[in-house]
Amino acid sequence: MPDTSRANWADDEEFDDPTVLPPQQVLSNPDGTKTIITFRFNDAGKKIKTTRKIRTTIVKEHVNPRVAERKEWSKFGAEKGHARGPDLSTTSVGENIVFRPSSNWKSSNKEESKEEDSLRDQLKDKKVACRICKGDHFTARCPFKDTLPPLDDVAASGAGAGDSGNAAEDVGGLGMTKGSYVAPHLRGKKGAGETMGGGNFKDRDDLATLRVTNVSEFAEENDLRDMFERFGRVTRVFLAKDRETGRAKGFAFISFADRSDAARACEKMDGFGYGHLILRVEFAKKSA
Amino acid sequence: MRPILLQGHERSLTQIKYNKDGDLLFSTAKDHVICAWYSVNGERLGTYHGHQGALWTVDIDPTSTLLATGAADNTIKIWDVKTGKSLKTWDFPTAVKRVEFSEDGTLLLAVTEARMGFLGTLVVFPIIVDVEAQQADAPLFTITFRESKATVAAWSYLNKYIITGHEDGSVSQYDGKSGELIQDIQAHEIGTAGQITDIQMAPDRTYFVTASKDKTAKIIDVDNLKVLKTFVTDTPLNTAALTPKKDFVILGGGQEARDVTTTSQRQGKFEARFYHKIFEDEIGRVRGHFGPLNTIAVHPQGTGYASGGEDGYVRVHHFDKPYFDFTYEVERMKA
Repeated sequence: MPDTSRANWADDEEFDDPTVLPPQQVLSNPDGTKTIITFRFNDAGKKIKTTRKIRTTIVKEHVNPRVAERKEWSKFGAEKGHARGPDLSTTSVGENIVFRPSSNWKSSNKEESKEEDSLRDQLKDKKVACRICKGDHFTARCPFKDTLPPLDDVAASGAGAGDSGNAAEDVGGLGMTKGSYVAPHLRGKKGAGETMGGGNFKDRDDLATLRVTNVSEFAEENDLRDMFERFGRVTRVFLAKDRETGRAKGFAFISFADRSDAARACEKMDGFGYGHLILRVEFAKKSA
Repeated sequence: MRPILLQGHERSLTQIKYNKDGDLLFSTAKDHVICAWYSVNGERLGTYHGHQGALWTVDIDPTSTLLATGAADNTIKIWDVKTGKSLKTWDFPTAVKRVEFSEDGTLLLAVTEARMGFLGTLVVFPIIVDVEAQQADAPLFTITFRESKATVAAWSYLNKYIITGHEDGSVSQYDGKSGELIQDIQAHEIGTAGQITDIQMAPDRTYFVTASKDKTAKIIDVDNLKVLKTFVTDTPLNTAALTPKKDFVILGGGQEARDVTTTSQRQGKFEARFYHKIFEDEIGRVRGHFGPLNTIAVHPQGTGYASGGEDGYVRVHHFDKPYFDFTYEVERMKA
């Protein structure tokens, strides 16, 4: 590990030459390893102390004498005269591939492809919709961009879109993280642009949906379902997951069949400890 | 599992083969050279120059002394493995699509293409496994295919039978000594849709696996040509290999080379598929190639496999622990 040890002026007994490096030290440790300490100057002219701990192991491999003999063959053809060892122009190492055979490979993989298909179906007749005025242009191009604030509760609307399928869930999930910050003056009251929103998010029943935040990133949808099912029939559990890592993003939406169950769950589960974290449960904000 | 990429070829791979000890790997492609590699680290040992056309096939004798290759320049060449020198050339009227040494290395079979009025044939040459020896000029016998040409062929145990796979999806069994037809079966879909693209023998050569354009691979008994197992996939197959040590089958394929540019890599199904040999279930896939897989060879000790693709790359894989640890519940219960 490189370690910048700036010479302490108090340690300098004499004004010795700062350009002189201490000699390399090799120490034998009782556990059979060796510690090598070397010093050098880095580009910035600072003294660098490098301490390396090295264990030497000798690996003996037994091969067939025929194989050993072939290993000694001199190269021929296009490789004639080349030194031993792989040549980078012909041989390279690919990226790591995780290969774990599994007996239910097919079923697990099928779901994935189905999901993908549904995503494609969802997006097929999806039109670009402005988040500000719901026009068919990108939000950035909206003529009201500077005059109207975007729809207030993007988070809730994202969850609502999730109702219609996995695809929209992902889309909504992204929107959610993006729009999670709400300016202070807009908190708790309706934004000016909200009245213009709605659209297909309107026909969604948010009454019995809880928003759960501060969820452990190792949480699973099934765990959440188990936890909340105690209070009544859960119609839907949506746990936002990171697309790359597959880990939970830290929030989830739980829809109950009955609002009173949801209210009870909200009351009981708020502040509930789960996976070293304290859950925060509240009713998902109604969009529009 | 970190694959080693071998980039010795400029065109698509046609066949790769391990030698019997598994330390050497030979690859042929449609560019006119054969490459020899050390399988352990991917170092290229050398190249064999002399063919004038695309190479279709390669095989190495069991002692790793002689290398046989068949090419589109209508020749079979025998090479000195160690020095890369060409020792013998046999000329044919048409291209040579498959060569294979017998188990003991004393016989070589070759499948020739049906083209320009010539019927497809299978010829068997006697081989003297010695670099100095003068190889015979004339074949021991020739089998001529009147109905459907053979695309692939292989030797059974003790050179008892020659098994041929045909363009029309049938598999035939010939006597290994006389070349007489014993029986044939319609193993795969009839017609060119069921064309057999690969036959690879099990290590003991009592059964073999076929790969076919009809998207299935089958394990067939050598003696009675009974279909023992069928592996169904969703893509035309170019190659199938059996793995020693573990009861798996590796299948490779992907859609036709001419359709590659019109499909995405994800849809292309350019993956090596692992199936369980007994349960016929797919157990995993290995990605990597960006063209169809043309050929797969498994290390004779079962420690790894290599695949060659239409993309011109050979990828050498050494299996890691999860591969060897994987067992079905019934297998674990037995153990």
